[in-house]
Amino acid sequence: MRTPDYIEQAWANLWKKKLRTFLTTCGVVIGIGALVTMFAFGQGVQRNIKKQFEELELFNYITASVSTRRHPGQAEFDPDGVPMDHRPADANERAEPLDAQALREIMRIPGVEAAFPEMKFPAQVQLGDDEQFTLVQVLSADAANSGLIALRAGEPYATDEPNEVIISDMMLRRLDLREPESAIGKQLDIRTLVLDLSLGNLMRIAFLRGGQSLPISNRTYSFTIVGVAERMGMSGPLPIRSDVMIPPGPAEGMKKLELTSIWDFFQPSDKPGTYSTVSVKVASPSDIPAVEQKLHERGLRTFALIDQMDQMQTAFIIMDVFLLAVGMIGITVASLGIVNTMVMSILERYREIGIMKAVGATNGDVQRIFFYESGMIGLLGGVFGLLLARVVSFVINQVINGVASGQGVPFIHYFDFSWWLCLAAILFSILVSLLAGVYPTLRAARVDPVVALRHD
Amino acid sequence: MSMDANGFIQTHDLTKTYSTGSVEVVALREVSLSVGQGCFVGVTGTSGSGKSTLMNLLGGLDTPTSGSISVEGRLISELSNAELALFRRNTVGMIFQSFNLVPSYSALENVTLPLLFAGVAKSRRRRQAAELLESVGLGARSSHRPSELSGGEQQRVAIARALVNRPRILLADEPTGNLDSKTSRQIVQLLADLRAAQGLTIVMISHEEAMLREFADEIVYLQDGAVRSLETLRPTP
Repeated sequence: MRTPDYIEQAWANLWKKKLRTFLTTCGVVIGIGALVTMFAFGQGVQRNIKKQFEELELFNYITASVSTRRHPGQAEFDPDGVPMDHRPADANERAEPLDAQALREIMRIPGVEAAFPEMKFPAQVQLGDDEQFTLVQVLSADAANSGLIALRAGEPYATDEPNEVIISDMMLRRLDLREPESAIGKQLDIRTLVLDLSLGNLMRIAFLRGGQSLPISNRTYSFTIVGVAERMGMSGPLPIRSDVMIPPGPAEGMKKLELTSIWDFFQPSDKPGTYSTVSVKVASPSDIPAVEQKLHERGLRTFALIDQMDQMQTAFIIMDVFLLAVGMIGITVASLGIVNTMVMSILERYREIGIMKAVGATNGDVQRIFFYESGMIGLLGGVFGLLLARVVSFVINQVINGVASGQGVPFIHYFDFSWWLCLAAILFSILVSLLAGVYPTLRAARVDPVVALRHD
Repeated sequence: MSMDANGFIQTHDLTKTYSTGSVEVVALREVSLSVGQGCFVGVTGTSGSGKSTLMNLLGGLDTPTSGSISVEGRLISELSNAELALFRRNTVGMIFQSFNLVPSYSALENVTLPLLFAGVAKSRRRRQAAELLESVGLGARSSHRPSELSGGEQQRVAIARALVNRPRILLADEPTGNLDSKTSRQIVQLLADLRAAQGLTIVMISHEEAMLREFADEIVYLQDGAVRSLETLRPTP
């Protein structure tokens, strides 16, 4: 028998029982539709996460920190709650301190675009009557000019010396300014918190209860806003994650609660002008291993988010498997429907099978005729299931975005239908249908023509 | 039909037993027959005498419990399932009392069925089937479904279908059992004409001994699964 004949026969037989074919196919359509929708959602989530990471260039950063000296066997304390990839521990080797010189050297490592210390201090910022509490990031002019921060308005400060400040778009809003341009040139006061352990102050705390209960006083410094950074991520530009950035020059002269990381709060750095942690920006994620290697050679511990990709991939696979498992319920039910339809069809055509065999059909011919039928149900179910999935996901996407846009969230495609998903869905549908057809078609092939021809 | 060992169709001690649960039924008991090429052999006997079992074995629809069948010197009883299918497709054509047409197919489609399994292209299938329907006098009714045809017409469609692959043997299992006497005669006459025209070897089961006497060269009488007697009516061609 020729292949076109099998297809024609299968189609003719299915067409003869339109309602049954329609209902059985509907089962497959719903099963495949649910499966594909789920999977496309999983893919969409993964794509959106990865895309966001890439847009934010999160994969382009390495956090490098000085190896903390500690007793052997002491559990590592990680101030940021992120796992540190520490270099092979050479307990006696003192790492070179991270200072301005070290930063310049790190900047010279091939592939490095910028390096800046994670140096923040708490402060109140005031513009007119608006006052906000924030963490001020000290950022060198080099780093500010490296393209690290995209500016919506203004220019980054050219040197490390001027009393100039870059604020984030978020801070702009918090300070009740609308247009980024309107902020440029405005005066911003930064009021630092100072640990005041002077006798007078301690006396005041001791005897004047109420009001101030901590040995802290304020100092105010005036800055000029020179730039407004684009809003990225939840708050300020990543990975600085700060809404106010000033150059190191004025920062050094400011009395403040020094706080390069929370760790330093508890264990102050041994030398002024050194940092415990720096962020290193590389040109491309592919530069990360080489740069990490160089940093390790300097005795630094490093952490790069891209190193966590394996864990993220594992999480994605678990998510896919879970979604597939849920989606498989529908497919299982649908395949039982196919088995039922095929068994019914074979019982109805019992005598016809006998006739086919009497006129020269082999067992294989008979089996293939029915195989083509179940395969065709699978093909139809796969194609229309895919269409259903696209329609349903389009509607869900529109509804979610409709609701979300009211809250200012940009339009997001929650579903990702890659071409291979579409192809795989159809092939999978056919495969499942063929598997569902194995038992019925074997039964058809084994029909005894003598019995079948006597059958009424 | 004779005991001649060089027949076109030859059976030797052909035995078929069916086991229905614990009871074993012997349907055919050591039947040895020889049919010459181009012969028209009639087989008759009471119901349960093993006529249909013999026919199914000769047609390759069933396999013997013991004994052998050979056709043109080929041992049919030793063939595999797939080889038997090819034997049914190419060497024998069968017609039945109940016609065994596919009800949902038109007359033409029913006739094309054996060609379908033979892998003949669609246009050729239709042309060949149309020619055969024409030759059995049903050229005008090729698009009718079996339910729209009379019994005689249905049996003609079945004959056309049996002959469309140009077999050398036609096996007819009570082809006139469901037909009135006038139509019966026309059908058997058609078989006899086809045999004369194409040199077919025909084995036909019938209850109607008178008709067998009129058309067959030999008559085999079966009783309780065994050959009771053989009667030669006219010399084989």
